[in-house]
Amino acid sequence: MAIEVVTHPNVTDMSLTNLQLRRIFTMRQLRWSDDTPINIFVLPSQHNVHQRFSKQHLKIFPYQLNRIWHKLTYSGLGVAPTIVQSERELVNAIINTPGSIGYIQDTGLIKPWQSSQAKEIKQVVSLNEDRQDQEKIAKNDSLNINTKGVVNVIKINF
Amino acid sequence: MLLRLTFNWQVLISNSYSLVRSFHSLFYLLLLGLSITLAIFFSSKVNANETTTSDSQRFKIHGFISQGLIDVNGSDFVNDDGKLSAELTEIGLNATYQLTDNLRVAGQVVYLEGGNRFAKGTRIDYALLDWSVFSSQQWQANIYLGRFKNNHWLYSSTRDVPFARPSIILPQSVYFDGFRDIAVGSDGIASKLSYSFADYGDLDWQISYGVSPISNKQTSNLLSEFAQGSATQDYDAQTSLYWHPEFSAWRFGLSLLDASFTYQRGRPSTENIFFDSNFIFQFYTFNALYEGESWEFSAEVYQQRFVIDGFYSPTFKLDDIGQGFYLQSRYKLSQRLTLLARYEDFYLDKDDKNGKEQEQNTNGAIPYYFGFHQDTTLGLNFDVTSNFAIRAEYHWVRGTGRLSPVVSPNIQLNNSEGWQMWAVQLKYWF
Repeated sequence: MAIEVVTHPNVTDMSLTNLQLRRIFTMRQLRWSDDTPINIFVLPSQHNVHQRFSKQHLKIFPYQLNRIWHKLTYSGLGVAPTIVQSERELVNAIINTPGSIGYIQDTGLIKPWQSSQAKEIKQVVSLNEDRQDQEKIAKNDSLNINTKGVVNVIKINF
Repeated sequence: MLLRLTFNWQVLISNSYSLVRSFHSLFYLLLLGLSITLAIFFSSKVNANETTTSDSQRFKIHGFISQGLIDVNGSDFVNDDGKLSAELTEIGLNATYQLTDNLRVAGQVVYLEGGNRFAKGTRIDYALLDWSVFSSQQWQANIYLGRFKNNHWLYSSTRDVPFARPSIILPQSVYFDGFRDIAVGSDGIASKLSYSFADYGDLDWQISYGVSPISNKQTSNLLSEFAQGSATQDYDAQTSLYWHPEFSAWRFGLSLLDASFTYQRGRPSTENIFFDSNFIFQFYTFNALYEGESWEFSAEVYQQRFVIDGFYSPTFKLDDIGQGFYLQSRYKLSQRLTLLARYEDFYLDKDDKNGKEQEQNTNGAIPYYFGFHQDTTLGLNFDVTSNFAIRAEYHWVRGTGRLSPVVSPNIQLNNSEGWQMWAVQLKYWF
């Protein structure tokens, strides 16, 4: 199951290199290319999706990420990512936080508008487990869609 | 008598702060005033501009709480009676607030109890203003004002954070608990410059300048019986450079420390016997870290120079060089269980590595084993959840060169070259 990197719709960077992704999650790059601050959301360190994202996308072991983040948080040197407990919570946080970035399992997403309109309105995703929202979104006319519930899926160039 | 005290230089430094205290109060008032002014000034700007930092992300609170049991046999490292002790408590609470895109305030309060290891109580661990001077995809430049942590050695910035250090008791030659309050950080200015090369990896350069306060209790614990004057730290200047090659498991670091202290006798009397003096302490380290999927290795090699000019007599001079290293290995048996093995070797005078010369010079008053410290450690850490862990370890130690109180070493309690300790600790953090 693939893992997708998602951002808030106001993030203008639509693709990142894996080096950039690693800089972002290791807190060495704190701003997007338009100079706005990056807000990071992650799952708990022992969460399976976090473990896989860390190794596969960042090429770094989860314990190394913990060390970097703990050092920043508990020595005052900087700020670490915000930890949320579930993928659903993570998507909600991304939706509600400008400049945010996170990751989620591909199977946890639906992409109702992967047709021609997808290019215009970016990709729209929501969680499978959230049946009602999913139906609401599905019933909506894509052109009238509220930005609430919308996140970008970022292309990662390895 | 004089020589008996010479090897206990750490204490002398640690008495350096009583005179600085009033200066510190003033410094913090000024810093607080500055922060509030800046906060007010920028908050109006923030509201007007609708900056992109979401409100929920501006303010963050974190903390940790840990409690352990420790049992030392054959030394007064933790307590005098040698009984099992619960004096292994570490609690911390920190907050960070993003004032603007470029300014942030942060602080942490910790409560520590470690028996004889350091002064028990609550202290402000750090309280700083972080100015992000420059930030791009590859560069970060920050200036920190206020009380900042020592971030120059491998584990110095998180030595009090139980889950962010490798063992319950750290290698005492570098992370000497008796010297903790001075080595843990400074009040002053620090800066960090980070650069990420496209091909050569990450480079971090840090520089700091300041002075460290020390609690009265620790000063009296360590020095009062002998030194009734007052000491000040003139300065503590440190710099360090870390290099992490791109996509490499290795990281390398160098650090330099130069500190100067002044002791003023005050009014001479029969009990106030020590003279006006100057002390210089210099410390150089090289470290390497390897972080693999299962194996991890780390090492720090160091040399220190300690110079006394005066103190015992107006013409007294001492210039000792101490050296040491430790090698540490960790193996991740599973995602949750990590094993630890470490060997540490340190001597206070490179020309008297086994302490025999000191023993002769003091006519046996100071046994040879006060001249060195060798520690073999085995331990394990089990991560119960992402926020809760348990750790246990055993230390076999040779030598008593890293024990508090250090001015009047307790020869009765520390009457053997070898001593051991074990400890277990529960750790929770958020």
